Amino acid sequence: MIDLENLTVTFDGFTAVADVDLRIDDGEFVTVVGPSGCGKTTLLRAIGGLQEPTRGTVAVDDRPPSAAQETGDIGFVFQQHTLLPWKSALENVVFLRELADEPPDRAGARALLETMGLEGFEDARPAALSGGMKQRVAIARAIHLGADVLLMDEPFGELDEITRDELGVEIRALWRRERKTVVFVTHSVPEAVFLGDRCVVMCDRPGRIEATFDVDLPSPRDAEALGSRAFQEQVATVRRTLHESYE
Amino acid sequence: MSERAETGRIAGSDVVYPTAALCAGVALWWALARLLEIPSFLLPSPATVAARLAGNPELYLANAVSTLEKVVYGGAIGIGAGVALAVFVAYVPWFRRAVYPYLVTVRVLPKLAVAPLLLIYLGTGTATAIVFVALITFFPLVLNAAAGLDRAPAAHRDLLRSVGAGPLERLLYVDVPYAIPDVFAGLKQSVTLAVVGAVVSEWVVADDGLGFLILSGSENVRPDVMLAALVVLLIVGLALYGLVAVAQGYVHDRLGLEALD
Repeated sequence: MIDLENLTVTFDGFTAVADVDLRIDDGEFVTVVGPSGCGKTTLLRAIGGLQEPTRGTVAVDDRPPSAAQETGDIGFVFQQHTLLPWKSALENVVFLRELADEPPDRAGARALLETMGLEGFEDARPAALSGGMKQRVAIARAIHLGADVLLMDEPFGELDEITRDELGVEIRALWRRERKTVVFVTHSVPEAVFLGDRCVVMCDRPGRIEATFDVDLPSPRDAEALGSRAFQEQVATVRRTLHESYE
Repeated sequence: MSERAETGRIAGSDVVYPTAALCAGVALWWALARLLEIPSFLLPSPATVAARLAGNPELYLANAVSTLEKVVYGGAIGIGAGVALAVFVAYVPWFRRAVYPYLVTVRVLPKLAVAPLLLIYLGTGTATAIVFVALITFFPLVLNAAAGLDRAPAAHRDLLRSVGAGPLERLLYVDVPYAIPDVFAGLKQSVTLAVVGAVVSEWVVADDGLGFLILSGSENVRPDVMLAALVVLLIVGLALYGLVAVAQGYVHDRLGLEALD
């Protein structure tokens, strides 16, 4: 469970996140959507312990994020794949788990890469992988870590739209299987609606939560859901909320 | 993979052209000495120099070893100190702010100008030569290594922090591998300067080494001895540089570093 109370982060007088209260239950898939500079990344970094709150509190499973980091319970996926160029895909996947002093499980890592469509690429270095494959390895790395909480900061931001859709479907499937708590930051409204069970809409100046939507789409979601009327309507609702906040 | 193999292989023309140029150079040297009838006390022919080398190989070998010792000991100290200081510069913000500007500005100071000062402090022994070589190799290393340790993308550091990893783990697992290309660039500069430093120090303080041999050759107007010593010096310098280049190739290949960024 993730619990934010009155979370405020300021940088040199600029308020990136102002008085945010948010509670995310175990196993929930929450997306955070908003324009660039609305503080959504700062919010995510605060949850992951990469950003100290100026005021307010962050708790991950009733502990400060730094304690959750120590036990390998926070799995971060960044916009850049952050794979180490000199390690193979498999070595990259096990690397973080080793750093976190978790017992090694190379067979598990292999199986994970296989389920993510990377069979045969275990020994390939990142330079030999496409953008989508690199991000798959990065996601596998976070899952292999064994973290309860997956924090994803625009992980598909540098991918083409077709790959994004494809990975979106995979992430949902993966989440259904692994039952992690996922916080997924994006500036794409369709992506936020498609992925999340709950969609948090943020606005800037100062960065705050404008609205929260429960997404009502059939689960499991596949690419077909992207074309459904229910999906389109909910995307339109979120868009309206974002635009109204700027009037 | 196949691309790497291709760039790694030395093409035939990479050997043929330089070898041809070397032969032409030696031929020109020989022609100048012979055809223009330049007296051999001014410009000895290649054959004379070769005969000098062959006639007393122990002399040149012993002096080469002596110069190499200064290069190796001094280089090891300078390079070790350079790497150690680079880590402090990269990891201790106040230290970086205080010291880094001076490391950069001191670069413009010719280290040669410091040699006479060392003479006063350390006397006319090998220690002066070693410290001088250390000093001259230190700067390229510390600046390159410090820049290299800064090269890892910020997100990689965030990744390590997200599992509670500390500075030592960040250094070993991320920053050092990312710094390797810069460290080798620094090593290549340092190893070249180390030979320069050793020779200059031998002019000032030593009574052995290739630099000393060249100097005493000059005093006795023996260009044949000087040229023979220069040839050995060239071989020593090339061997050291080649050693670094081979190590660089090996490490880069092991780590797949062509693909960095």
